[in-house]
Amino acid sequence: MTDAPASILPSAVSGATASHWLRNHKAGIALALPAALVLIVLFIVPLAQLLSQSFKSDAGFSLHAYDRLLGDAYGRSLVWNSLRLGLVTTGITLAIGYPAAFGLALSKGALRSVFLASLFLPLAASVIAKAFAWTILLRSHGVINDVLIGLHLTDRPVRMIFTQTALIIGAANVFLPFMILPIYAVVAQIDARLTEAAATLGAPPVVAFLRVIVPLSLPGVIAGVALVFSLSVSAYVVPNLLMGENYPTLASTIAKAFLLARDPALGAAAGAVLMAIGLVVVVASSALARQSGSRRA
Amino acid sequence: MSLNGATPPHVALADVSKRYGASTILERINLRVDPGALVTLLGPSGCGKTTLLRLIAGLAIPDEGRVSIAGRDVTRTPPHRRNVGVVFQNYALFPHLSVRGNVGFGLSVRRLPRETIASKVARALDLVQLGHLIDRPVAALSGGQQQRVALARALAVEPDVLLFDEALSALDRNMRESMQVELRRLLKDIGTTAVFVTHDQDEALTMSDKIAVMSGGRIEQYADPISIYARPETLFTMRFVGLSTELRGAVTGRSDGQVRVETPVGALTAQGAQSLGSSVVVATRPEHIRIAAPDAAPGDAGLNCVEGRIRQISFHGSRTRVAVEVASCADFAVEIGGVGDLPAVGAAVRLEWPPEQSFAYRDGSPGP
Repeated sequence: MTDAPASILPSAVSGATASHWLRNHKAGIALALPAALVLIVLFIVPLAQLLSQSFKSDAGFSLHAYDRLLGDAYGRSLVWNSLRLGLVTTGITLAIGYPAAFGLALSKGALRSVFLASLFLPLAASVIAKAFAWTILLRSHGVINDVLIGLHLTDRPVRMIFTQTALIIGAANVFLPFMILPIYAVVAQIDARLTEAAATLGAPPVVAFLRVIVPLSLPGVIAGVALVFSLSVSAYVVPNLLMGENYPTLASTIAKAFLLARDPALGAAAGAVLMAIGLVVVVASSALARQSGSRRA
Repeated sequence: MSLNGATPPHVALADVSKRYGASTILERINLRVDPGALVTLLGPSGCGKTTLLRLIAGLAIPDEGRVSIAGRDVTRTPPHRRNVGVVFQNYALFPHLSVRGNVGFGLSVRRLPRETIASKVARALDLVQLGHLIDRPVAALSGGQQQRVALARALAVEPDVLLFDEALSALDRNMRESMQVELRRLLKDIGTTAVFVTHDQDEALTMSDKIAVMSGGRIEQYADPISIYARPETLFTMRFVGLSTELRGAVTGRSDGQVRVETPVGALTAQGAQSLGSSVVVATRPEHIRIAAPDAAPGDAGLNCVEGRIRQISFHGSRTRVAVEVASCADFAVEIGGVGDLPAVGAAVRLEWPPEQSFAYRDGSPGP
């Protein structure tokens, strides 16, 4: 989120200031160039194609694909399912990840290494492997049911796979590191003496936590929420393996439209809606982050 | 508590010990701070002074002994119920709050009415002359201003005792010296009791009513600044506060409070009561030694007197330091006011000083 694009415009008016600007930012431009090229070729161009595809019909420009997607109850349930997956996963990972990030920040030595490894190592495993592992655990004759039956806690398999509970457990598991790491990065930087200062000023531990630590941890929370929400709202593998056809989402609609139904306009429209949701979250969270940051500047 | 009508201490530590694992940080500390007194805990890093301050603040709990503040036993009272004010080394201001939010923090957690908070915040900021910065974010302030905000934040809650943990050490030299004077005047005006922790002897001498010199988890000497400087009770205090010239030797005679000591530069008389034959260190402050020409008429017969050669002269503005080599085995540090009327480097001189200004200490520690 830099102001660079805004400053190109006025300086382009006069050649002197433009070359001045270029000279001042030479290193920055050179460093950003590879990333910019990759973004343009692999993201901006396909995105433009996708958007133009979503507005295309036999009669030229039209909103027909959006009407087909959002015009009926089924279409709106796709949006709602995606949103709900994103919101619930974000809420649960925040509830588990926030205290975990503090645990990580307070841990020392070997214990911290173990904690960090247990966060990073799962990221190296494929999402498909993790989602599939959950199906092995949760299915009717899976590990958990075998144990429950073996212990005579139940005589029939408990239905877990293809339930929303399974979906939430799986999604929370897959996306948890993306909540913990940004919060941990911020919390680890908070000066421990701030808590002591609050205590000597008369704040009981809970008050000190709520009035000092929580506000200072907000930038990490905002980053974690933005990451987990944008990842989980568009998740495809996890709902697909753990819920199958029972939980159609925008992401699964994109796959179906392009791969099965050969209906690129519908798929493109679903992609555009998903992007719009993501965009709202990213813009809102960076605005929040800037606001909580500016009070400190 | 007071049997003889003396004022009861405002802060008292009785037989306080603190250990971390196998290492003893504080060993049976006894300290009494009078109401309104400014007391400094002075010592090198690792002497336990910061731990002692944290015990008063409640940020640490003693393993043994009792801590009381304003007549109340607070040994096991958590910090938020002690009513102390702490100014931390790097200020520990809340970065997400403005100056107003920082100074008002302690009042607002006490749930005082909004108007009361506003007026107390304004008054605390007036005391440190920062009223005009009330709406600034603290990160936008200079180091000196942050220091004042930290002080105002601690003052605003009207604490029973103010505690300063190396609070001036982050300021640059000029700022620190003016702050020492200003802070002492301010604290005396308010009449608050304060305990400082510092390793800076100048700060301790300037600001305190009493200084507790600490070493190895014990208090070496607890006295007013002049006594600490002029009559150090231990060699550690002598060495830590101010400069001195030290000479080892054996006691060869003693009479009413003074000892005669045979040293490599000759026999010297010093304050002390060690037994005959014991090894001692004789220490003398540089400003008490007078430089005289070797052929000048000797002063008072009772003066200590050695002859030597000027090895080095260093000018320090208001004073001049002279290193004098004596009997090619000892280097005397001498200090005179201003530039003085000095012979050149290499010149032979006689050094004279009164026995009352030399102190003999039992030689229990490794030599200088």
